[in-house]
Amino acid sequence: MRRGPRGIDAAWLIAMAHARSPLLLVFLLAPVFYLLALIGFPILYNILMSFQEVTLGNLSKLLRPFVGLDNYREVFADPVFRQVFVNSLVFVGVNVVGQVTLGLMAALFFAETFAGAHFLRGLLLATWMLPGLVVGALWKWMFASQYGVVNFVLEALHAIGGPVHWLSDPAIAMTTVNIAHIWYIMPFSMILIAAALTAIPLEQYEAAELDGAGPVARLRYITLPALRPTLLAVACLVTIYSMRAFDMIFALTQGGPLDSSNVLPLLSYQFSFQQFKFGIGAAVGTFAVVFVFAVALVYVRTLKHEARA
Amino acid sequence: MNHRDDGAARRMPKRTRRIILAVVAFAGVAVYLFPIYWMLISGFKSSAEIFANPPTFFPSAPNLDAFRSVFVQENIARYLRHRVIIAIPVTALTLGLGAMGAYAMSRIRSRLVDVALVTVLLLQVFPEALIATPMFIIFKSIGILNTFFAVILATTSKVLAFALVILRPMFLQVPSELEEASYVDGCTRFQAFWRIVLPLMRAPLAVVGAIAFAQAYGQFVYPITLLNRQELQPGSVGIYAFIGAETADWHRVMAFASIYVLPIIALFLLLQRNIVSGLTAGALK
Repeated sequence: MRRGPRGIDAAWLIAMAHARSPLLLVFLLAPVFYLLALIGFPILYNILMSFQEVTLGNLSKLLRPFVGLDNYREVFADPVFRQVFVNSLVFVGVNVVGQVTLGLMAALFFAETFAGAHFLRGLLLATWMLPGLVVGALWKWMFASQYGVVNFVLEALHAIGGPVHWLSDPAIAMTTVNIAHIWYIMPFSMILIAAALTAIPLEQYEAAELDGAGPVARLRYITLPALRPTLLAVACLVTIYSMRAFDMIFALTQGGPLDSSNVLPLLSYQFSFQQFKFGIGAAVGTFAVVFVFAVALVYVRTLKHEARA
Repeated sequence: MNHRDDGAARRMPKRTRRIILAVVAFAGVAVYLFPIYWMLISGFKSSAEIFANPPTFFPSAPNLDAFRSVFVQENIARYLRHRVIIAIPVTALTLGLGAMGAYAMSRIRSRLVDVALVTVLLLQVFPEALIATPMFIIFKSIGILNTFFAVILATTSKVLAFALVILRPMFLQVPSELEEASYVDGCTRFQAFWRIVLPLMRAPLAVVGAIAFAQAYGQFVYPITLLNRQELQPGSVGIYAFIGAETADWHRVMAFASIYVLPIIALFLLLQRNIVSGLTAGALK
């Protein structure tokens, strides 16, 4: 390596160092190719399988008989798929509304000045760190009809007349899954919203107060407009996270009873690994992939707008 | 003085108001985290007390029977060993690839970075449950099914994108003048990265490492799909193996769950402040 007298040809050395940027390129491409190989490729492979007849016999072969849209036709004709598709929309919708609303309320509350505000807010994030399987098991115990603590408390408060069958009543199971998942991920949404909240300049509030704006007006005309891009980004992230929910639902209800709390990724997994209908599973999966990808495009656009603003 | 507060401030002395807020906050957080408390104490109850009506909110006769049976009958040690064997390499791989990628993204000035970043953002959204099936088939055909290596590769793909997104803004904060000064002393770019940039990034890397470890440690889809051989099952299904039935031994399930999450809760309490600030700095950018 060439080593010039210090300072004399420093500029030249710096230029040389920048010319060594092939290292940077390797650094950039290594993780990107890793993700392309281990996420991008499997997703494309999944799309390919959705047009093929895949059996346990030809599982390891690349060339399998193509069946056109047969898998999709079978999927769309299946009433279970239609129900699960609606379930997924409900699950995502309730989570977006629930987490953004509760997350915003919690973030606004913890933005007040009082002892322990930051510590207590941070403590909530503990739920987000837990394994999904544990969250599912935990709520299954909380929601148990006979000995569960939820029914006990609600009965003690006279909020319910008799035990609610949170997990075994098809009309209620989806609500149960929603409650557990909002509990699980909401603190993460809250932290993201809280970060955007502290970025709003206090001068805006001072000026508004001088103009006689009350708390509602300040929320309506300063806080909410300033948070708009963040709330949209959080809504997208919650959609993405909710579509990834698998471990928790698997432990809590397994999608039951009668698929009443089933969602698309879980249904796809069940087709593939419980019924060994890999082609059907792939078709359901591709359907979910297209949905998630569309949301992801909105998310990336939102981030770009926010970066520019 | 907080200007986001409501009109009550004018009617109430500030001190009283702050005390009320603190009490409400403490009560709210206690209620929110009650399920975790419930999990921890359920493991200390006896098989009679667990089904007591009304339930006891503090175990009347705390005992370790459930914990003992989880170690003896359920072989939790084997499960935890499996989780750690997977989580440690995943953390290392994530930190390595994550630091490299985030550093490159903070130093290269071209459209290529935007393309890479958008690619990463788009790839991170796909549900693992959907990737698991094609991955199972791909790994089967290249002959690495039923190896820890397969689970490590798969799990890293789940946490790597998150690491890149969190780390990139952190690396952007390191001024490149520091490295340029070291080139004058004859450092290569790799040496500058290794000796100057990485030591400055210790705190963010600790945060990302903790989250990567927690996620890899808690992951379920990949182990259960990719380690499906009978003798590997006890190590991959874990807690799931005994909550399927409607009448589960909940004190044992909760004892299992408590031991299982202990490392994550310890990690969280240790790094809580850093994790929160790390997320707020990076997660939306």
